[in-house]
Amino acid sequence: MRPAGWIVGTMVLSIIPSFHLSAQHVSLGPQIAFGDYREVSSDLHYRGTGLGAKATLMWKKFSADVVLSKVKYKPKTSAATANFDASEVDVRLRYYVTGPVSAELGFINRKMDPEFEAQSVGAVTLGARMAYVLGPGVHMSLNGGLLFGSKFSGGGTTSALGALQLGLGLTVDALHGRVLVTGDYGFQRFSRKTDDGSGALPAPIQQSLGRMGFAIAF
Amino acid sequence: MHRSTSWLVALALVLPAAAEAQTIQNPTLRRAQQAFDNLDYRQALTIALTSLRERLTGFERARAYEVLGFTYSGMDSILKAVDAFKQVVLIEPERDLDPNRTSPRALSAFQVALTQILVVRQLRVDSVSFIGGQGAVGIRYTVTQPSRVVTRVTGGTLGSIRIDSTVANGQVNIRWPARMPSGDPVPAGTYNVVVEATVGQNSFSTSQPIRIAHGAVDTLPHLTSLPGYTYLPETEVPPKSWRPMGLALVYSGIALAGTSALSHGNLGSASMREGGMIGGGIVLAGFVMTLKKPAPQPARGNILYNSLLREQIARRNTEIAQENTRRRQQVALTVVPLARPGGGR
Repeated sequence: MRPAGWIVGTMVLSIIPSFHLSAQHVSLGPQIAFGDYREVSSDLHYRGTGLGAKATLMWKKFSADVVLSKVKYKPKTSAATANFDASEVDVRLRYYVTGPVSAELGFINRKMDPEFEAQSVGAVTLGARMAYVLGPGVHMSLNGGLLFGSKFSGGGTTSALGALQLGLGLTVDALHGRVLVTGDYGFQRFSRKTDDGSGALPAPIQQSLGRMGFAIAF
Repeated sequence: MHRSTSWLVALALVLPAAAEAQTIQNPTLRRAQQAFDNLDYRQALTIALTSLRERLTGFERARAYEVLGFTYSGMDSILKAVDAFKQVVLIEPERDLDPNRTSPRALSAFQVALTQILVVRQLRVDSVSFIGGQGAVGIRYTVTQPSRVVTRVTGGTLGSIRIDSTVANGQVNIRWPARMPSGDPVPAGTYNVVVEATVGQNSFSTSQPIRIAHGAVDTLPHLTSLPGYTYLPETEVPPKSWRPMGLALVYSGIALAGTSALSHGNLGSASMREGGMIGGGIVLAGFVMTLKKPAPQPARGNILYNSLLREQIARRNTEIAQENTRRRQQVALTVVPLARPGGGR
């Protein structure tokens, strides 16, 4: 299924009547996404908006986030000439460790359309998340980690500490916890290097993505 | 002095007689009493002795001897007065003279008469209710001479069981647990408490009927709270603080500063638009939460206290359940004395 189809499916699921999953908490809902994308140099700078969806599942000490987004990027500099769509899947499994800290493991996969207007990328994420309850029904989180095993459609590699991510999250309960207002921020930086035989050349990739929306809690 | 004493004696005779349900029907005895009331002792003596030769009821015979006793007392014939009172006591062992209304001479003659004959008087059985095996019935009586006194309970399916045997004089108190020789409670029914006193060839016995009823022992209600101890609230609202706002600023600051710091140098200054919007939302939420009443937090001390209280109540209820199980196997005995048909012999 194409990412656009997933988003539509997720939105449809979010408005159907709730069902109960024993000993689990599930939330699902649509988001509006807006992002900033840069590649190789400051001359290739794009900004765009799009749609997304986020599903969260919590079970005992485990939780999982599945985030789908599709952002239509438009050039912000003259060197960048073509629009492209970035469809991203971000899956994270989380295990509560202690206090506010949870460990995270997951993967991201971002595909660009047209395929060679920007670099498609896939990587495994490993990091940690700190969560704090600001007040009744208001949760915020800060997460960070490394992106391992990065693969790029145009080739290139990153060092062990060359790919990083940072994130911020906010969830506000509404309607007695049946509806959640969600806001997420994610920053990714790949210190990518390419080598065409003349030596390693830096070709970094950087994306800031914000998402705001709501979710139905089951 | 002599006249006032006689009046007292007359009053003592008339009032108890009036109080009795039975009345004197014999005309001779009435005349004797009338003569005594008129302080004509010689006439009263003659007529009372004549009445004793006539057909009298037990009550009338006792009254006739009583007139004789008072008359002899008034005539200072103490020995004869004692003999007359002995006859009164033998006919009516429960008979007592009111010390406030009787002349000292007649009273002392009556007391001497009591010590010279063997009777068991004032047998009383307490009305009582108790759990079988955990209480006793109080039985009291007065024996007028030193004697061997045996107390028995007879009747029903019990047959006859001896509950006490003693050498006694005067008032005796005994306690009967209302148990069979096997230890089981006495079955429900009507019984007689028989007290028999013996000195040599003389013996006297009297009895008191009683009714024993069986009932269920009350069980204890289960506890929902301990007196003087109440559950404490398990959550408490902490005081307002700027912590939510502070943490929102710190988290957002780390994210934005991290974005700026981690941004690749070749790509120009990092975009703060996305992080700023989400971070601004978090700071706003932190500010609102700082102004709002904080959410109740678990009060660990109170939770522990309530847990201990619940354990105590549960432990007590377990004990109560065991006690109730025991009580359901017990029987409550109610002992009630019944009206006595007559005196002893």
